[in-house]
Amino acid sequence: MAIITVSRGSYSKGKEVAEKVAERLGYQCLSRDVILEASGLYHIPEIKLVKAIHDAPSVLERIRGGKRGYIAYYKSALAGLVQKDNIVYHGLAGHLLLKGVPHVIKVRIIADLEDRVRNEMRQEGISEQAARSMILKDDQERRKWTMSLYGADPWDSSLYDLVIHIQRFTVSNAVDFVCRTAGMDQFRTTRESQQKMDDLALASRVKAALIGLNADVDVISEYGNVLVFAGTDDRLARKIRGKIGSLISDIDGINNIEVHAGAPSE
Amino acid sequence: MDANVLNGEMILVMAMIGLAVFLFIVEWIRVDVVAILMMVSLPLLKLVTPTEAFIGLSSNAVVSIIAVIIIGAGLDKTGLINKLVGPIVRLAGESPSRILVAISLAIAPISSFMQNIGAAALFLPAIQRISRALKIPISRLLMPIGFSAILGGTLTLVGSSPLILLNDLIIPFQLEPFGLFSVTPIGMGLVASGILCFVLFGRFILPQGTQEDDFAEEKLDADEGGLLPEVGDAYELRTPHDFTHYREPIRVEDLRRRYLVNIVATTEPPDYKLFSPPMDTVIRSDSDLLVFGREKDIKRMADNEEIIIKQEMEAFKDDAADHASGTVEAVVRPRSPIEGKTLKQISLRDRFQVAPLAIYREGEIYRAEIGDLPLRVGDAIVLHGTWKRLQVLQAEGSLLFTTPVDVETMRPEKATFAGLWLAVALMMILVFKIQLSVCLMTGALGMVITRVLSIDEAYQAVDWRTVFLLAGLIPLGIATEKTGTAAWIAQTVLATIGTVKPIVLLAVIGVLTSAFTLVISNVGATVLLVPLVVNMALAANTDPRMAALVVGIAASNSFILPTHQVNAFYMGPGRYRSTDFLKAGGLISIVFIIVMIGMISLFYGV
Repeated sequence: MAIITVSRGSYSKGKEVAEKVAERLGYQCLSRDVILEASGLYHIPEIKLVKAIHDAPSVLERIRGGKRGYIAYYKSALAGLVQKDNIVYHGLAGHLLLKGVPHVIKVRIIADLEDRVRNEMRQEGISEQAARSMILKDDQERRKWTMSLYGADPWDSSLYDLVIHIQRFTVSNAVDFVCRTAGMDQFRTTRESQQKMDDLALASRVKAALIGLNADVDVISEYGNVLVFAGTDDRLARKIRGKIGSLISDIDGINNIEVHAGAPSE
Repeated sequence: MDANVLNGEMILVMAMIGLAVFLFIVEWIRVDVVAILMMVSLPLLKLVTPTEAFIGLSSNAVVSIIAVIIIGAGLDKTGLINKLVGPIVRLAGESPSRILVAISLAIAPISSFMQNIGAAALFLPAIQRISRALKIPISRLLMPIGFSAILGGTLTLVGSSPLILLNDLIIPFQLEPFGLFSVTPIGMGLVASGILCFVLFGRFILPQGTQEDDFAEEKLDADEGGLLPEVGDAYELRTPHDFTHYREPIRVEDLRRRYLVNIVATTEPPDYKLFSPPMDTVIRSDSDLLVFGREKDIKRMADNEEIIIKQEMEAFKDDAADHASGTVEAVVRPRSPIEGKTLKQISLRDRFQVAPLAIYREGEIYRAEIGDLPLRVGDAIVLHGTWKRLQVLQAEGSLLFTTPVDVETMRPEKATFAGLWLAVALMMILVFKIQLSVCLMTGALGMVITRVLSIDEAYQAVDWRTVFLLAGLIPLGIATEKTGTAAWIAQTVLATIGTVKPIVLLAVIGVLTSAFTLVISNVGATVLLVPLVVNMALAANTDPRMAALVVGIAASNSFILPTHQVNAFYMGPGRYRSTDFLKAGGLISIVFIIVMIGMISLFYGV
């Protein structure tokens, strides 16, 4: 009764761990499904989404905030999918997108660099140097991505509940650890924690619905009371207030919605 | 003054004017601080002498405004004006137009003897009561009445800061000073045309309170306590004995955030009652809760958290009764010390033990996380508490209550004295022709001596911001004149536009002043423009006194943006948006200039 996010680098065997955990616990395993869901929900070509959420934003995109829109769509789709619980998700930024939900177990699987280089060489048929630079470049790209969007370094172990280094531990050891963690009391889904998950899903949905206004807003929800924070721009707040009614009309579960200036207090 | 050549000093003065205007617009520092900056930097730059720099503090204008504020406070304290409001309303009957005309006609002369904002504040509670009782949307009353308060400021020479300043500003030109009622005909024309505009075109230029609003007013009427539908009603609930079992502790704050309900009192076993419990109070088992909220929210909470709604009040029967506690709307007054702060920062709940339920701002209602909203002038905060605690809050003075809660501190028995001293001051001005400041200060002193208000209350009433704004900008006017800058600008402008008819010149001055007053405050506009226009008028063979008068009056032509204090103040209670001011204010501003010029040419034959 939990949501497990597995964060992984290339050739770290994280995917394998995730799939085996899902199999053993009888959970649903999600990865690409989120992209399909987002693309279906918000009518965006898959390829655009993949590009947007995988590559670090360019300077231009950082200025226009273009990627934020895709991230919001992705987050909304992800939150909607994991809301029903008993999920293993191995994909981008699960630990960041689902922050604040008590029954989310954040796992990171890392592998020894030398092992990864060897795997890359075998897979792509390239020299050791080329493989090494490829892997390092990929890691760097991921790092830039999370840094620019969340201000968090994926290599910061304090972001996770469990960091497992696949070298002396085997994949099946890792599966054991994760499954045992999932059985612990503190990760059990409670009414309160499910409420937090529902609120996160609702807030993400509202935020995604507001993307069309080209506004970088913060949205939080507590027990269906949604607050949209429009930052310091009064005009933006007014614009949102004027249009929000029609934009959120098909979102269920909103008890009250207000647009405030400023930013959330936490 | 002739043969004016641009010199270094003039450039320096213009730079200082530019700096002042810039700072007025961007508001990096408050306008009165800008004025003090001028007061200090002008003598340092040797543009004025040190004596001239501070001469504003002893000027007729500043002393007059201090006295006017004290007299206004005295009138307020005795409830003299409130007594006038009752009969006026009865005379007006129930027709919205007649009520509008009656209150506008009442507020205008009052506003001509006190600060406009003071008069506006005084009338707000009465207007709200009338709106509720007669089911007239408040938005249809408040703006016209606020405008009348501003227009009323042009009825006498002490009605508004620009006019009070006027005589001081024309001293250097050796022009004959204006009398107290020199402006009255023009002011009357302005007030009459303003009211007429709203009576004739009110339905087109005023927001027409929606159907929903009207319905809300009806619901209000059913409850004399004056509850607001968005805030809901009082309910008593009880937590079961296993309420705290197997769950995280639930605090008052949690319930507020989750369900937008307000716990205004709880019981603690055995029978201790805790009112306005701190937000982090943990809700216990077997305790009674007095809760404010909308029915649907209360029900949602009761279902989710397994709390029982009682059919009627039991434990809090007496406390929730109308005589013990109530819900009031309190407005953040202009220049309130809490402006810009949040309710959390001022610890309103802990200090006064009243519970804020909602905030109205620009037609929006805020119910969630209101503790974190930085407050603005005109925000109407809905508060619940016992009358005693609300009185303490009212006495503190940063909020203006629209429902009277403080009856004890009023001194109605002194009303005769207050009226008497106002009459004495007026008599001295009109009959004995003594200087304005002396007469008004006599009236103020009389009120203190006859204990209409104590001298400490008088000191507290004085608004230092206005005093220093006036006093600090006067040396800038002196510098503009002394260095010949005003003359130079005037000649340059006239040389560019060529000769114009006096009436056209005055109209242009009127438009210019109206524009300035919107961005750099009425006092700033007056101080900067009077020396300028007097010089222009002299050069163009127009009556310089009339040019100065146009500036003094047009400085009150501030309706298009809610920048005037009165407009900012009425914005929250009237649920207005900026665009509402644009629409109604646009019309009034145009009519203002036409009527002003018309009346001047009629009465002074320009």
